[in-house]
Amino acid sequence: MNGVAKKIYDWFDERAGLTELGDKMLNEPMPGGSRYAYVFGSILVYIFMMQLVTGILLMFYYAPTADHAYESTQYIIHNVEYGWFILSFHFWGSSVMVVMVVVHMSQVFLWGAYKKPAELVWVVGTILFTLVVAMGFTGYLLPWDQRSYWATTVGLEIADKTPLIGDFIGQFLRGGPTTGAHTINRFFVIHVMILPLAIMGLATLHIYLFRKAGPAGPRQRDHEMLTRTSEYFFPRQVYKDSVAIGIVFLITCGLAFYEPVHLLQEATPEPGDYNPIPEWYFLFLFQMLRYETFSGEWGQIVGSIVIPVIFMVWLIAIPFMFRNPERRLRHRKLGFLTWAIILLAVAYLTYDYTITEVH
Amino acid sequence: MIQPKIKMKVVGSDRDVGEVSNVIADPVTKSLSHIVVCTDDGGQRVVPIDQVADVSEGVVLRCSAVTVSGYPLLCRDDYTTVHQQEVAGLEARLDVDPGHTLLPVPEGDRDIPRRGFFTKFTIAINAVLAIPLAYPVLKFLIHPMYAPYSNQWVKLASTNQFSDADAPRSYRFKKTIKEGYLERTFDKSHWAMKASPGTLESVYQGKDIEFRDKSGEVYWVNRRNVPYVVFSGKCPHLGCGYKWRSTKKYSMAFLCPCHLSIYDIAGGVLTGPAPRALDVLPTRVTPGGDIEMIDVEFKAGRADRVRVI
Repeated sequence: MNGVAKKIYDWFDERAGLTELGDKMLNEPMPGGSRYAYVFGSILVYIFMMQLVTGILLMFYYAPTADHAYESTQYIIHNVEYGWFILSFHFWGSSVMVVMVVVHMSQVFLWGAYKKPAELVWVVGTILFTLVVAMGFTGYLLPWDQRSYWATTVGLEIADKTPLIGDFIGQFLRGGPTTGAHTINRFFVIHVMILPLAIMGLATLHIYLFRKAGPAGPRQRDHEMLTRTSEYFFPRQVYKDSVAIGIVFLITCGLAFYEPVHLLQEATPEPGDYNPIPEWYFLFLFQMLRYETFSGEWGQIVGSIVIPVIFMVWLIAIPFMFRNPERRLRHRKLGFLTWAIILLAVAYLTYDYTITEVH
Repeated sequence: MIQPKIKMKVVGSDRDVGEVSNVIADPVTKSLSHIVVCTDDGGQRVVPIDQVADVSEGVVLRCSAVTVSGYPLLCRDDYTTVHQQEVAGLEARLDVDPGHTLLPVPEGDRDIPRRGFFTKFTIAINAVLAIPLAYPVLKFLIHPMYAPYSNQWVKLASTNQFSDADAPRSYRFKKTIKEGYLERTFDKSHWAMKASPGTLESVYQGKDIEFRDKSGEVYWVNRRNVPYVVFSGKCPHLGCGYKWRSTKKYSMAFLCPCHLSIYDIAGGVLTGPAPRALDVLPTRVTPGGDIEMIDVEFKAGRADRVRVI
């Protein structure tokens, strides 16, 4: 820094403590050094920032009302310069987010990085996971086309079946008995205000708790080696994160470019020839509810409420159930098996959906 | 500024006194106000900093050992460390281990019962402010949730559109609703057919169908001898729209493309996850031959019928 710039920097530094803050943030010691395996948390922060930026941009033109939501979205796609790209980036960003959340959680699970003292990091992470899914669900309605309308209608019919509170939740989210003008307003405020604020708060807490607990580091606990190979978060991990973020950015751009968003007909309770389907990451649940096992009133409650709730409770309880400090995977066969079965089940159900003919 | 170190030997004007165990900083002037001397008899005396003459080779006091033993004993509860209390800029000015730098708790805050009183009072004030807000906020949020039902008759088709029996077709109609300030008109559809006597028997199973409002009063009865049947277009499984078409297993049936529930011509569940048969709507035939219905909707996913609109 030359003289004037340094003087200006020093002036701010004296008052804001920039150097100290920067040092504290970046000089995070990572036992065993930086790795590409640790990039996923940073990728999620990056995708969230991009969703925030593209989301704010979309709001320059989008009108969250039942009479203009569809038109304003079409306007963004067809009239506003690069509107198609920003919308498609936002759309695909949500898919990339969901994939990366699953990868991040899988990595933390398989590394045993949720174990003491990081239990709370995991718990807050699972709440963030549900918020990301809620983001996907609420955002899906906003373009107000047939896809939006039917996914929301079916999704809220499912929520409505939750014992005791389901009716209230369904009515509250819809703002009435059917998906309509109030629903889009409500989903809009949840999608652009409530959930982003909640995610920002909880992500901050997540990172704070992570820093408090310290990085788990490699599974091999050779202290001499860990000390020798230890590195700060900056610059090598930041560099690796940036490389990974660059790749994610290119993939999202590619998806937005080659598979841009096209709207179907405007939302209406008349389905016409449209066969409703949810976003791809809900397809496994959609397919599951087709099975005979989950038929009838109670079967459906089991499939759409009981199983997901049990799964979430199990997910949150993981650090309290598996308390053995052993982190090496070959000593955690049950954990690995559970993880594999869940992912295979989701993959199988999704695959089964693709081969099931509607006849 | 005089900066004694922890564990430094303390020498009075006459003899050794002990060692420095802590220092006390003044949060206002951001400088040391006292040192705490751990005397040889084990007591901790709070000695004003102006009694310190020199710190180059241990702490040299201006006063005697007797004077030191006259200074007050340290009351640890009256102090915090800089870990517990943030004093801007203090650390940069003091050259002492933060854990050993004590800061006096303000006089007014040393009284525990009084602090407790203020805590409770603060909670009470906030509760008084928040609780009355809860009701209007809740009312505000649930405002549109429970709209009254409309029992308005809507024309769906005409009897002369039905030549063959048991040939259901989807009939569209325009629906206008006002949600809040916004009035919208959109398409909706239901399935209607002229039922053969056998089908009619399956639909009605020997009984007229009564439609009741919330209070349990009957607002319409579908007579079992009227051959025109209207099924709600909403699949009773999870609310998608179904179609009348041929399927692999059945020559013609109502099939929902979402979760593959299949219903027979009379609306009965043939296969799939649906918890109940298709919903028959209140239907009447006007003297002019119009088939009219009330656009009732029931909750999906339940064995019983709970009206929603």
